[in-house]
Amino acid sequence: MKKQKFIYHYHFTAIVGQDKMKNALILNAINPKLGGVLIRGEKGTAKSTAVRSLAVLLPDIEVVADCKFGCNPHNRSQMCQECINRLDCGEELPKEKRKTRVIELPVGSTEDRVVGTLDLEHAIKKGEKRFEPGMLAEANRGILYVDEVNLLDDHIVDILLDSAAMGVNVVEREGVSYSHPAEFILIGTMNPEEGELRPQLLDRFGLCVHIQGIADLDQRVEVVKRRAFYEQDPAGFQKTWKQEEEKLQQAIVRAKELLQGVTISDDILYLIARIAIDMNVDGHRADIMMMKASKTIAAFNGRREVIKEDVQSAADMALQHRMRRKPFQKPGVEEGKIMGIISHTHPHKHEHVHTHRHQHKKVPKIPKV
Amino acid sequence: MDWRQREVYPFSAIVGQQKMARALILNAIFPSLGGLLIRGEKGTAKSTAVRALAAVLPEIEVVSGCPFNCDPHEYDRLCPGCKARVKQSVDLPIAKRKIKVIDLPLGATEDRVLGSLDLEYAVKEGKRRFTPGLLASAHRGILYIDEVNLLNDHIVDVILDAAGMGMNFVEREGVSYMHRAEFILIGTMNPEEGELRPQLLDRFGMCIQIEGIENPDERVRLIKLRERFDKNSTEFIMAYQTRQNNLSQGIMRAKARFSHVKISDEMVQLCSKLALDAFVAGHRADIVIRKTALTIACYEGRDAVTEEDVNEAADLVLLHRVRMPPPPPQHRHEEKEKSQEKSPQDEKENEKQEEKPETQNRREGEVRENQEEEQGRDKEESENSLSHSPILENVFPVGDTFKVRRIQMQRDRILRKGSGRRSRTRTSSKAGRYIMSTMERRTNDLALDATLRAAAPYQKQRSRQDVAIVIEESDIREKIREKRIGNFIVFVVDASGSMGAGKRMIETKGAILSLLLDAYQKRDKVAMVAFKADRAEVLLPPTSSIELAHKLLEELPTGGKTPLCHGISLGYQVIQSYFRKDPHIYPLLILISDGKANMSQYGGKPVSEAMEVAEEIKNDNRVNTVVVDVEKSGMISFGLAHQLSLQMGARYFRIGDLKSDTLVEILREDLLI
Repeated sequence: MKKQKFIYHYHFTAIVGQDKMKNALILNAINPKLGGVLIRGEKGTAKSTAVRSLAVLLPDIEVVADCKFGCNPHNRSQMCQECINRLDCGEELPKEKRKTRVIELPVGSTEDRVVGTLDLEHAIKKGEKRFEPGMLAEANRGILYVDEVNLLDDHIVDILLDSAAMGVNVVEREGVSYSHPAEFILIGTMNPEEGELRPQLLDRFGLCVHIQGIADLDQRVEVVKRRAFYEQDPAGFQKTWKQEEEKLQQAIVRAKELLQGVTISDDILYLIARIAIDMNVDGHRADIMMMKASKTIAAFNGRREVIKEDVQSAADMALQHRMRRKPFQKPGVEEGKIMGIISHTHPHKHEHVHTHRHQHKKVPKIPKV
Repeated sequence: MDWRQREVYPFSAIVGQQKMARALILNAIFPSLGGLLIRGEKGTAKSTAVRALAAVLPEIEVVSGCPFNCDPHEYDRLCPGCKARVKQSVDLPIAKRKIKVIDLPLGATEDRVLGSLDLEYAVKEGKRRFTPGLLASAHRGILYIDEVNLLNDHIVDVILDAAGMGMNFVEREGVSYMHRAEFILIGTMNPEEGELRPQLLDRFGMCIQIEGIENPDERVRLIKLRERFDKNSTEFIMAYQTRQNNLSQGIMRAKARFSHVKISDEMVQLCSKLALDAFVAGHRADIVIRKTALTIACYEGRDAVTEEDVNEAADLVLLHRVRMPPPPPQHRHEEKEKSQEKSPQDEKENEKQEEKPETQNRREGEVRENQEEEQGRDKEESENSLSHSPILENVFPVGDTFKVRRIQMQRDRILRKGSGRRSRTRTSSKAGRYIMSTMERRTNDLALDATLRAAAPYQKQRSRQDVAIVIEESDIREKIREKRIGNFIVFVVDASGSMGAGKRMIETKGAILSLLLDAYQKRDKVAMVAFKADRAEVLLPPTSSIELAHKLLEELPTGGKTPLCHGISLGYQVIQSYFRKDPHIYPLLILISDGKANMSQYGGKPVSEAMEVAEEIKNDNRVNTVVVDVEKSGMISFGLAHQLSLQMGARYFRIGDLKSDTLVEILREDLLI
């Protein structure tokens, strides 16, 4: 077992502003099936700080103590081959509670470290082949965090695509043939000025938020103050923010429980479908994400029923990166359109034949010269 | 139990996408249909469907324990191991199991695909033995490649070899082995991420293109089903059990009926006629249409093939074989939009092009008719939109598309002949994907697995202390890595008002598209920056997808002032940021403009600002540049673009001198240096 390092961390709740980003991260903490977040924004906007501090907020998970993949001891269908074999042999699996991990994938990572490789030591000592798990194994049931995800090497991106979609890492390389569960929340940050992300990888992120530096003077000062406090007196900082942190933690736990019971009416589902159609998104992942996100938002707000406003916030996050923006179209046009669709919803969904779909697009928005 | 047989979304619960479901089932019924390629936008259940297929596949009999999935009833086709057992008159143990779907991950290395030396056995026994790879496991089953267009060229070659012969010959690491490898190749891809190599494309018996569902009711049904599955997958699967069983039995029944179904001569003729009309190469299409039609009849429970069956079959088989490539899939919305934004003037332009004699193929006649119909409609609509919208900016069509298409066809032939493309850049740095190993010592990039395999057979003779394997100098193997890209072309396109004059923008768009096609052949990366009015914008981030570029080109509006400096510097920025990702690229910046800068970026004189940036680029030795001047000669010309090219150290061309294909030629020279 590795030595547990204890570092005072910056608190999630102590981050000033950036509510959209914090919201998206919290939603993922409540519902890991949301498929992660892509945070787009300029440098120095607390992107990485937020992701790292999120780990502390996440509830503990129960794992098979000596399993490399951190299998869930209570769910056979999510186990790795070894754990299943052990169960089949009638073995009692040792259990352990631990924090959800945040695994950082550095931009320069090599393929063998990411997917896993042949165990060198074992091979030379024993003359046997054994699989040495990589980062995807460590990230199972945790968070895989890629800073500057747009700078990631293409072939690493390909691998991520494979496993992020299926929750399985299949290794067929360097003489090893192995596969194991790799279900992780993919969180990426990027600065769009340094290049875009490939469309296929973009779609793998459930949600996407766009953040900017804070323009408000008072808030900016507050950022600097808190940071200084944290650096000078980490323990004191910890104490000050403990209460806030615990409150949020409890809210997440409550929302998690509530989420199971959240219902979504047909009207709302039709609204979601209409937004997806009118916004001309590719495929159906957007619909599914909007559904999941709006349920999670409802749960976080303590409701058992999804309302229109939930869909609106969900659409904002789920569609950001899935819409095709036309050349030279001013950003922000689309938000208005979503609002329009939501406020125009007719309660009688079946009678509503959608014939005026293209009217929104007929006259392209012309920026004033 | 295999942990991978986990709860997957049931095949019968997939909403819509009947064509895809149908094509998959047909392949499951009759494996020699030659596999299936599914092209489609992201999030359309492509991968879900293929993975779900495994659960409804029919059962086959295999020799139990045989890694090659031998058929116990066919002596001639047994693997050497099974044959030996039969010779010793041992009864082969028989097992019944479902056809397997074998996943080929993108990171696969050659040794695992082909099979290699058995390391453990070699260390223990000092003898060489073959350990089977993925091609062996896929024999009599399905080999599935997700995102097949992203697969390494080398691995593609290896698979093509095996698929072509139905055999896998292994000669490596002192092991010599051959075994049967007959598999159904199923691939899924999103064309936005780049196209597939023609050789590989041809390997697939069928190809279908799928899109998201438009109907709101269906969409809602889809969301609901997904919600139920997420809530309780076990229950969900149980609920679909009957349907799954029915489907499974339907496949079994169809399989059993196969030998009884008849096809009349008339229908066989129809198959060939359809293939001819599509102007396909060779005869594979005819054969596959016939087989597919037969299979459809089987599945429908009929005894004879009907005309509908043949038509349906042709639909599945011909898409990727039609010699005039299918028009890039256009989405309904865009189709309409595009036509709305066209002005009548351009319409005439287009018609002129249409009237050019087309001798190339018969199919185009049909296409032309369709387009003329569309244009009729277009005109009405464009007049409508003209009446109530002020025109500040225009969206010009992409010019010279027919020329471009012809280029693409030639490409098809060229590639079929040879394999001498320089798509593979073997890198000396340790970046890139490990594909195979070599004995040559150059890079210090140790290929551990290969080294161990090389050393393994000698371990019995070597003195070992505390370790199982002793490695000597001669055993060392190094990795060969492959990288996709060599060149990186950044187009910086002037989209200001002056480009709207004459046919400039149309010509320019045509030229860019030709270049994109060429870039695709060579697996180059392309990016596009456009500038107009008050700013420049990265239209196309580095990609190798023509489809994406085509869409964007179509939608690119023209109008406003000329922020030349911003355009050039943004193009340069794109190159610089790509350098950060990959320092081994050969970037080329192509500026297409008339050089008449009249919009300043930093508040200085627009032209001199542009000159400054140009000089900065000149000083960067890594970047090559080309300036294409679109200013019409004859009238009063300013020659600003020429000055700019001198300042930038760029090669200079006038667009008048350039037919789109000569531009391609020039660039080819330029890049190969």
